[in-house]
Amino acid sequence: MATTSSSGRARALDFVRARQAWTIAAVELRRAFFAKRALWVYGLALLPTLMFFGHGVAMKYRGDQLARRGVTPAALLDSVRDGEAVADVKQRLGKPAEERWSVRSERVQRDSGDTGETTHVIEPAVETRFVRLNIIRPTYSGEPTARIYEFEIYGPDGRENLARGRSVTGSIPCSPDQGPEKAVNGSVSGGETDCWCADDRPLFLQVDLGTPRQVKRFVVKHASAGGEDKESDTREFNIQVSGEGKLFTTVESSSGAAFVEERTEYRSLTYFDGRRDAQFLFVDGKLESSHINRLLNFEEDRMIFAGVFQFFYLRLAIFFGCLGMFMYLFRGEMSNRTLHYWFLAPARREVLLAGKYLAGLIAAAVTFGGGALLAFTAMIWPHDAVEIQAYWNAGGMAHAFWYTAAAVLGCLGYGSVFLALGLYIRNPIVPAAVLLAWEGVNGILPHVLQKMSVLYYLQSLCPVPAPMDGDTPMLVRMLAAPAAPASRPAAILGVLVVSAAVLWIAARAVRRMQIAYGSDS
Amino acid sequence: MSASAVVFEEVSKFYGDVLGVNLVTLNIPPGITSLVGPNGSGKTTLMNLMTGLIHPDHGRILMRGISPRDPESLMRITGYATQYDTAPRWATGFTFITTGLRLYGYGRAEAEEKAWKALERLGLTEAATRKVAAYSKGMRQRVRLAQAIAHDPELLVLDEPLNGLDPLVRAETIDLFRAWAAEGKHVILSSHVLQEVDIISDQVVLIANGMIMAEGTIRDVRDEIEEHPSQYFVHCRDASGVAALLFGEDHITEIRLHDDGKGLLVMTRDRERFARALGRIALDGHPIDGVVPADENVDALYEYLIGGE
Repeated sequence: MATTSSSGRARALDFVRARQAWTIAAVELRRAFFAKRALWVYGLALLPTLMFFGHGVAMKYRGDQLARRGVTPAALLDSVRDGEAVADVKQRLGKPAEERWSVRSERVQRDSGDTGETTHVIEPAVETRFVRLNIIRPTYSGEPTARIYEFEIYGPDGRENLARGRSVTGSIPCSPDQGPEKAVNGSVSGGETDCWCADDRPLFLQVDLGTPRQVKRFVVKHASAGGEDKESDTREFNIQVSGEGKLFTTVESSSGAAFVEERTEYRSLTYFDGRRDAQFLFVDGKLESSHINRLLNFEEDRMIFAGVFQFFYLRLAIFFGCLGMFMYLFRGEMSNRTLHYWFLAPARREVLLAGKYLAGLIAAAVTFGGGALLAFTAMIWPHDAVEIQAYWNAGGMAHAFWYTAAAVLGCLGYGSVFLALGLYIRNPIVPAAVLLAWEGVNGILPHVLQKMSVLYYLQSLCPVPAPMDGDTPMLVRMLAAPAAPASRPAAILGVLVVSAAVLWIAARAVRRMQIAYGSDS
Repeated sequence: MSASAVVFEEVSKFYGDVLGVNLVTLNIPPGITSLVGPNGSGKTTLMNLMTGLIHPDHGRILMRGISPRDPESLMRITGYATQYDTAPRWATGFTFITTGLRLYGYGRAEAEEKAWKALERLGLTEAATRKVAAYSKGMRQRVRLAQAIAHDPELLVLDEPLNGLDPLVRAETIDLFRAWAAEGKHVILSSHVLQEVDIISDQVVLIANGMIMAEGTIRDVRDEIEEHPSQYFVHCRDASGVAALLFGEDHITEIRLHDDGKGLLVMTRDRERFARALGRIALDGHPIDGVVPADENVDALYEYLIGGE
């Protein structure tokens, strides 16, 4: 009889406490949801949704855009083979939806015995008295100084260097012993003072042959002919002739001494068959490679979602979101000097802790559970209705559920951890960094220690393992995936046990907590 | 007796190395009790200890038989108006009090009724729907009082409750304390201004540097310090003559001439012998117009105990 009444009283007391906790939670919800410092939390929660929604919109827009320019039968897309010419492909498939081309010129070294010497023959020979070498771009390295070791001029018989020892003028030399005469002295082997060097624009060298002569061939010996670096060879120059020394005619333009420019043409054609876009890449007119992809690849998107969920949402968004939402439930009231309001209520400290935790949990679960569900919807939304239906019937609904559940349980786990941390520590940055590192290296810890992290259980709850290519580094793989995932019931139980243990520690702390705002006693 | 009293048994509290209160032993019966001491003497520490906001490092506290470590039971019968602003930013005077009352388990209607009653008692009816953050200092003081009394506690702990109140409200508030005390409840308040509490208090507790200097009714307190010198003001025309005669008595510790030359401030260790000596001096032809104890009110006592030496 007495037992019944005392157990009845205990039950009534439990009810009172539960109601108190709920009253506290209801008041604290406002703080948890609308705290100014919690606004960035919503940004974190909604980021994946925005990402997938943006991707969906972009792909739908691109599909419309491509379709407007013409749809090519799928079979034709698949018929294109490597090595085919641009014209053939265009003829068979019709006008592409998009065509882009570019020419890339590359400097390649000319394999010409490598003497730093260029020869220029003009046809037919001309009669001239003055010959002028204009330097337009003096070097390959970008240095603005021109160096010509020898400038030779030959007539049609080609035996005698007509320029040698002739009167010569040119731009102001770099130093007195590098004057223009060094370019016609018949020698290149005398080191740096055996060349004409100038950096005063315009850069030119002008030879007076004395009388008009028949001229057919020029030889220019650049920096490397005199033993300097190839990068110092003349990059662009021309040769002009003149009978009277006033009006000059260009007879030769040249680029490069030891180097030449090589041009490659790249052309890409895009075709669209209604679902897939095909990109054909031609190099110098021949098909080099083709990429045929589905514009909206459901399977791929689901893998991306799995990756985003595990690497971003669980590890970062929920982690830092819970930091923002739970850490300040107590810490904020300590710094605002309002905590004693709760401590003066006729409630056990544990009830206060429960109420605050409940408020944080509701806010975090709505934010991140909702965020996960919203992101999942945004990921599915742009795809074909039939495909979605098939996926939904084949476990898609369960996937949505488990993602949401993992997010909510994440809030439960991380929430308890940050609530407890807020009781002990003033500045959240250091413990958060330590905790993030702990959760991060979790995968390489011994199995017993793995069980002491929240992430371990959350990963086990994810319906699709995070995408891992075969070439993912071993370390990353170990860090990202639990070595031996727990079963779902064990994972849920695990999160609950970890949270309960942390909350038990928090309850001890809050029971011992004293109000010490400082100031007067 | 102890079940209905506030009892401190050798309670000490340190803040790190700094002493908060030292070996405090108190037995406070129901009625109005004032904790009096200068700023920093430990009044708020004592009140925080009573309400469990801090815990003693040594000793035991019982509040009408309940330990402050059990807020669930204690706060049901206790209301504490702190010096700190308690109200959250969003709260109006009304929601601030009703939210608190909901935690006592009152339903919405009952909580609202009690809140209105408390607000009315402190003259805050009109301001009830405004945000507490926008209240004046006096109004905040009153809303904290209203919150402390809203659930009809048996034990009211009020930290500097009369601070910032205008004279009219102050008188009303004092009436409120008296009404509360008349019902056999505890009203424990603190002050560093003696004049405002010495008339209303049934008991005073003098506290300085974390130690209880005296405890009891004002008269009790004085008797308690009987062995300490007492101070008297002696009205007489021939002040210097009387002073010269009194100097011969070995129980006199100090004599000061009053500025106007018509009186003496005398300190004695023995009131009986002082009275006999004065009689002799009067018979010797030095007219004495009157003798007034200078430490009859708490203020003088307080000055002696704390401000003096």
